[in-house]
Amino acid sequence: MINWIASLPNYSAYGTPVYFFYLLLAILPLGIGLYFGKRFSWYEALISFIFIFLMFDGSSWQQGISLIAYVIYQTVIVMGYHHYRQKKNAAGVFYLASALSILPIVIVKLSPAMVGHNSLLDFLGISYLTFRSVGTVIETRDGMVKSITPWTFIRFMLFMPTITSGPIDRYRRFEQDYQKVPDRDSYLKLVNTGIFYLFLGFLYKFVIGYFFGQHFYPYFERAAMADPHLLSWNLLGVMYTYGFYLFFDFAGYSLFAVAISYFMGVKSPMNFKQPFKSKNIKEFWNRWHISLSFWFRDYIFMRFVFLATKKRWFKNRNALSSTAYMLNMVLMGFWHGITWYYILYGFIHGLALVVNDWWLRFKRKKLKNMPHNKFTTGVAIFITFNFVMFTFLIFSGFLDTYLFK
Amino acid sequence: MHNGKKLWSIFGPLIVACLLVVVLFSLPISKKHSAAIEHKAAVSLSPVVFKNQSIKQQALSDKRTNYVPFFGSSELRRMDRFHPSVMAARYHNYTPFLFGSKGTQSLPQFFNINSMENQLADQKAVYIISPQWFTKQGVQAPAFKFYNGELANLTWLKNANPKSPYDRYVAKRLIAMLGSDGTVSSYAKKIANGQDLSGWDKAVVRFRLNMLVHEDAIFSGFQLSDNYEKHILPNVDRLPQKYNYDKLYDEAMATAKKATDNNDFGINNHFYNKRVKPRLTSTKGSQKHFNYTASPEYGDLEVVLNEFKNTNTNVLFVIPPVNEKWEKYTGMDMSMYYRSVDKIKFQLKQQGFNHVLDLSHDGAKPGFMEDTIHIGWAGWVKVDQAANQFISTKQAQPDYKINDEFLSSTWATLNPTPANLQKFATDYLK
Repeated sequence: MINWIASLPNYSAYGTPVYFFYLLLAILPLGIGLYFGKRFSWYEALISFIFIFLMFDGSSWQQGISLIAYVIYQTVIVMGYHHYRQKKNAAGVFYLASALSILPIVIVKLSPAMVGHNSLLDFLGISYLTFRSVGTVIETRDGMVKSITPWTFIRFMLFMPTITSGPIDRYRRFEQDYQKVPDRDSYLKLVNTGIFYLFLGFLYKFVIGYFFGQHFYPYFERAAMADPHLLSWNLLGVMYTYGFYLFFDFAGYSLFAVAISYFMGVKSPMNFKQPFKSKNIKEFWNRWHISLSFWFRDYIFMRFVFLATKKRWFKNRNALSSTAYMLNMVLMGFWHGITWYYILYGFIHGLALVVNDWWLRFKRKKLKNMPHNKFTTGVAIFITFNFVMFTFLIFSGFLDTYLFK
Repeated sequence: MHNGKKLWSIFGPLIVACLLVVVLFSLPISKKHSAAIEHKAAVSLSPVVFKNQSIKQQALSDKRTNYVPFFGSSELRRMDRFHPSVMAARYHNYTPFLFGSKGTQSLPQFFNINSMENQLADQKAVYIISPQWFTKQGVQAPAFKFYNGELANLTWLKNANPKSPYDRYVAKRLIAMLGSDGTVSSYAKKIANGQDLSGWDKAVVRFRLNMLVHEDAIFSGFQLSDNYEKHILPNVDRLPQKYNYDKLYDEAMATAKKATDNNDFGINNHFYNKRVKPRLTSTKGSQKHFNYTASPEYGDLEVVLNEFKNTNTNVLFVIPPVNEKWEKYTGMDMSMYYRSVDKIKFQLKQQGFNHVLDLSHDGAKPGFMEDTIHIGWAGWVKVDQAANQFISTKQAQPDYKINDEFLSSTWATLNPTPANLQKFATDYLK
């Protein structure tokens, strides 16, 4: 059986243009159903299973087994906690359920640094599933999840368009969408927008992202490695080309996921909103990888602020928010992986948010007469953009090879 | 709006777009490149020529122009008046087809050669091996990826034989370069483990190849550099009408003298100002630890040699020198350098590759080097003479005796003292 699965072809999500041909063909009956006001749940489960199977078979079959074990584990935790929460609401049990839910990803992220190889528990998309599962536990604590069954929870976790790289949805929102079938007009609007997103995604990922990822970035990477100067124009080239590659590749991917969700009658949240237009770093995080940064904002930043306020840990409000920013971003750095460059990336972004807050306060108090016009806006965008690009250079890991290998 | 109209406004453009794509890819677009494109490609050194196939395959099988492949690396870009492409245009009845830029060491060259096997069969070629390739790491992954593409990888995978130690070696190196993700690497993993690709795998490879070949035929001709107009054509008329080796050599030396008069190293003035002078003090003694004697590059060279054996290509190998004054300044251990040259030559000669032009001792000759490690002017005159002699006269059939012991890490890491080379021969080679 395992040998047979290992020998099957593997299709990672949205990897090639041909993939879309198969995928759209498979969801066509779903679309026809929705057009006539029916949601074919069983058919959807079947094709979801097939496409997820194709992501995790072949050489990735071990990941497939980890995925199954992981989903069973999370379902037990969420259902168990939901059952408990109907009667009681002790903080300790909530923390225990959250800790158990986070445990697999902690092991997965620690393994490479501790034992030198990837954990067997790892599979593509584990971090995104963790966000969904932990988010559900938290929503349950807040009493926002009224009814949940293993079936609806698994359907939410394994929603095929977004399984490996998000956007990160919330259980309550998803389930509301799922329960109601959009009327014909709204569904056609969804499809229309979906097609636009799909083609914008093609342009982003397969055209612009391709040139940055396969041509410009390798060109500068090679040139920078060969350049005798430590700081060179080529390194700057690496920085910008990687930054653009990262954006167009990931934004393209997210557009695909949102488009396919729309075709399936589910309004998955958008992940990017023209991030390079941001005038400051806070705005940037409202436009970049939105579903992730909002998850962190709601479940790390806000929770910490509430807790610290309640327990009166801080006298100074600004010290509180600065600590919360640092905690939030450094944790996000750790989530990316335990390497010096991810952690530094998070640390610098945390610092930038602190400095940004300080600057806004300073401007409000001391620089009341500072003009606000197109020029100052341009300067703000320029600084934010270049700062972000610089942090992406750190994020890329290129400096690790460049400086130490 | 009526429902039908609504549906058409959503799906109509999509359907039209799909139809247009199908039309584009099935139109009888001429897959032939013009002679002008071939000419341009032969000196363009563009990555598309290197990693794709249609242009080079067509050029090398062209009966009107006698293209001879010149494999090398960054020295091929030194397009002065005495560059083999200019010299051939003026004096010889062949045209070099250049394959190489910075970083195209033996492994990228292997994939390049592999994707034109049929065109190389029973032909002649020139292969310039730089000892600087043979670093501890060998070819760097970014450089490899820049000159490598899915088309070349799948072309190799289509016929890769898991029973051949050469193909298993290439598979391992490919994974080391590309990382273990992706279709190509997952197939390469099977080959590396000695497994055959399944029928389905092969069908996928064929399907992908079919698309990539079509794409290559339509688009590759548009992405060539202008080296031909900029560096080759204007230089041809500046050479004397009649070929005279001694006169050309003297002229090359005189040109070099003028072009290198702002420094004591014999380095091109422009190169010196831009690349050497700004960091002159920090480079002093900086190459003391350089070592070219142990490198995965030796194994990579072996798969190239095996490829030449399979295609029965008669090859002239050129080992270019390094600028001796410069190496003295940077403190490179010249005895290490000569030992690495010995090791390369040993690997060639033991297997019957007997046409070797060893210029490694010419690095102090005036006008021979254009900069620190690249041959130019008088050096090119000498290379051109040997290449012409090799290409324009009839050569005996090669008799290659290939030996996979040269793929081993024992060989890759062997310190090539004469005694060690002798011992390797008696222990492993029969």
